[in-house]
Amino acid sequence: MSFTSIRSSQKATQRLFDAIAYAIVAFMLVFALGPLVWTAFTSIKPEKDIVTNEMQYIPLHPTLEHYVTLWNRAGVVTMFRNSAFTTAVTVVLCLLVGTFAAYSISRYRFRGRGGLLTFYLIIRMFPVVLMLLPLYIMLRSIGLLDTVWGLALTYTTFSMPVSLLMLKGFFDAVPADLEDAARIDGCTRFGALFRVVIPLARSGIAATSVLIAVGAWNEFLFALMLTNSDGSRTWPVVLQLMVGEFQLPWGLIAAGGMTSILPIIVFFAFAQKSLVRGLMVGAVKG
Amino acid sequence: MTPDTTSVLPKSNRRVVRSGALLARFVGEISEGRFWAYLLLLPSLILVLAVVVYPVGYGIYLSFHQYNLLRAGLGATFVGLQQYIELFQDDDFAQIVRNTFVWVAGGALSQFLVGLITALALNRKTLRGGPLARVLLLLPWVIPSVVAGHMWALLLDSRLGVINDILVRIGLLASYRAWFADPATAMPAVMLVDLWRGFPFFTLLLYAGLQSIPEELYEAAEVDGANAIQKFRSITLPMLTSVIVAAIILRVITLVNSPDLMIVLTNGGPGLATFTLSLYAFQIAYENFNFGAAAAVSVIMLLILMIFTSLYLRFSGVTKAT
Repeated sequence: MSFTSIRSSQKATQRLFDAIAYAIVAFMLVFALGPLVWTAFTSIKPEKDIVTNEMQYIPLHPTLEHYVTLWNRAGVVTMFRNSAFTTAVTVVLCLLVGTFAAYSISRYRFRGRGGLLTFYLIIRMFPVVLMLLPLYIMLRSIGLLDTVWGLALTYTTFSMPVSLLMLKGFFDAVPADLEDAARIDGCTRFGALFRVVIPLARSGIAATSVLIAVGAWNEFLFALMLTNSDGSRTWPVVLQLMVGEFQLPWGLIAAGGMTSILPIIVFFAFAQKSLVRGLMVGAVKG
Repeated sequence: MTPDTTSVLPKSNRRVVRSGALLARFVGEISEGRFWAYLLLLPSLILVLAVVVYPVGYGIYLSFHQYNLLRAGLGATFVGLQQYIELFQDDDFAQIVRNTFVWVAGGALSQFLVGLITALALNRKTLRGGPLARVLLLLPWVIPSVVAGHMWALLLDSRLGVINDILVRIGLLASYRAWFADPATAMPAVMLVDLWRGFPFFTLLLYAGLQSIPEELYEAAEVDGANAIQKFRSITLPMLTSVIVAAIILRVITLVNSPDLMIVLTNGGPGLATFTLSLYAFQIAYENFNFGAAAAVSVIMLLILMIFTSLYLRFSGVTKAT
């Protein structure tokens, strides 16, 4: 085989690989987005177009009736608010607690530091069901059962380890020299944390917040068990109960699903770049 | 170092600001002390002790006691290992453990493979629109399990499901199937839904791992005349090993621990076809209110997870890297 024919066969191989790569990405995009698109379509079809003998692929009679029904259902707005409130409290608490702990682990070398970090990391291996009843009893005894506060406190604890890891990564990237300079100018350590470290790590902190928010907004199992009245129930629970109440109102379920994932998608689009970076820092480097 | 901002504020606010400034100065002084590192850790430690450690301890205690919420008046009676022994004598339990194994091993492996193939495709430098594709492919990962479950329940519905319709149209299927009601297809169907939600996690981590492999390695291999498969086997895979191991173990922990999709889609059925340990523990606890037995199931799960977690810690080198 001559030199040029090797070159041209290599080129052909490269082109083949390119074609395969495009095919895989295209197929995966259909797989990933197809269900979302189908749900969006279902949410704007009138019920008679969903329950048909002939499958209707494109919504021919688009309508917002399911969204209106959803909005007018008793308590739905309250539950939307519950979710938003729980998520907001979780993000604030978790950032506060996580920032303090991450800063301590990032800047200080003390005995038991590695052990503590490992311990925080293995929290997620404890089965949720094992903790549910004791947590239920405990929250009841301090009056936080069936409240958004109790839920937020629980979420804070379970989001804290990953946030801590992410934040530690971002704090590690802030040069200690800058802090020292601020301290020479008269800042206390506490002052330097708020005036130097946090401002410099703000994109990382934003990414961490998004991750915490998505986790709190989506959580189902704790929410199902630790709340039982409309005053504190969150979205995923309400959506699940909706199915039990009616004979599979697909349009309504689809509208509920779309409404509940909309904030996540907005958040996600907003912060995906630093989110991905932060997750890599947290998940792989440890 | 607190600048004096009190003068520009209305009088009623001044006191608040002044006491806030005082507090900041007080905390600032403490922050210079010896115990600052520990004080910073205190809030997180208190939370973890109260919300995780104490409940886990209490849960393990319950696994050795008979505690039924319907007969709460009887309190918790110590029964030793009885609840564990009863589990192992139960024929259903063996089936449930087998299901859990299929769910966890099959789930982690399928998600890893699909995630890897996607990451490799995304990693091709000639690919246009890569950044957008990466974001869009991550989307399923942030969709709540409840919404994902209902989405797929409609897609795979035995009468209205679009997947049935497509498969019949292209001739792969003679007639519509009830995927979740057939014992042979129920577990694969639930696993497909979890594949949808889980593959982006692998794609994300593996893509980032691929990006960190130095280009020079591939160039050197090309000079030596290595083909694509050789390059993959002797460069890509070895360089990705730690990411692969960490990602799989993290996913295994999640898979063992979350009954969400089963609760939404099948409730363990038909028969025991999709019953896993986590769902079993959940049902004993909240449908039979037998918390002692549920705790025993959870402790068995915990033991399985402890093995995986120690593997994770060893392979990811978390303790060393810090």
